[in-house]
Amino acid sequence: MSQSLAPECTPLKHSYDACFNAWFEGYLEPAIAAGSNGGSGKNGSSAASPKAREEYSSKKAEEFEKNCGEVWRQYRSCVQGAVKEKGLDEMLKQAREDNPLKEPPLPSTSQSSSRS
Amino acid sequence: MLWYSQTYEYDCEWPVVSLAFLLRYPNPYAAHVLSCDVIDRTWSPTGTLCTTRLILKRGALPRWFPSGVLSRAESWIIEESEVDPFGKTLRCTTRNLDHVKVMQVCESTVLQSGANGKTSQYTEARVMSNFGWGLAKRIENHGLAKFKANIQRSREGVSLVLSLLRQSRMHATMGGPGPDTSFSPSLSQLQNRYVHSHLNVTHADSPPTPSSDGSFEPHDHQSVTRPGVLVRLKSWFGRS
Repeated sequence: MSQSLAPECTPLKHSYDACFNAWFEGYLEPAIAAGSNGGSGKNGSSAASPKAREEYSSKKAEEFEKNCGEVWRQYRSCVQGAVKEKGLDEMLKQAREDNPLKEPPLPSTSQSSSRS
Repeated sequence: MLWYSQTYEYDCEWPVVSLAFLLRYPNPYAAHVLSCDVIDRTWSPTGTLCTTRLILKRGALPRWFPSGVLSRAESWIIEESEVDPFGKTLRCTTRNLDHVKVMQVCESTVLQSGANGKTSQYTEARVMSNFGWGLAKRIENHGLAKFKANIQRSREGVSLVLSLLRQSRMHATMGGPGPDTSFSPSLSQLQNRYVHSHLNVTHADSPPTPSSDGSFEPHDHQSVTRPGVLVRLKSWFGRS
């Protein structure tokens, strides 16, 4: 497993990663977990109703909370502290406002978070 | 701005490829990755999992690059991913947070379940520079060339993690097959063993320290088993 940006957070990160990975493996395969049809095609199981998705999601979120919630909060607070200490929080805040998943960033000066 | 795209197909099912993709660090093809942290993780209303990671990569400047412009040649990368287990789609976008006036590289990857248990990967990159002194075009060309060279390496890294994953799954199911066997302890063990013993990858054990002269070079002093890998172990911001 890779290192954390702050050495003091690395042990927490490793505990969290191990917990998350075990959970995530199950999360990736809802067809098996939910015992529904296991279509393997492109849209094999995407026809699941919004309700089924919601139920599955909240079930998995609960499971995550039960197994990994505590270590996740510890790790997150450690990293958040380190991010602040290194002065990265402003740069991050700016970047996350852009949300590249929804809107590809523009090649203009909108990326004003540069520190270089 | 320069634009580039490529498609690729993994001969493996989507859940495993997606897992390998998100677990791709550390791997010997990504020795320039110094740290990788999850800073946010949430479930969307539609049941997808959204993750934000902050990654520190080590890079180097091309020889022709004016000295003294960058205080350091490390780069913070933000990675946002969304996993939809119902639609069997993973979307992931990464971009550098600093040095953005010099060069910004935005990479988008989509992993989607395909026919016959295969998984397709579509990767798109935009490289843009707002640098003056008539260098913007040259920087963009350099960035794109590095990106093209690195995309192959990045896939090799994912493929390696994929094979470690298969190994650990085989190992996990030997004791008694069941859908709930958890791979994670043995995967991370395999991953660490592979990375540390075979390739002796060095990790930053202290916070990155800024260098003042901008002439930072990667110290790729791994004892890599294959020739050529060393040369290819450079980040997108690598030396020309």
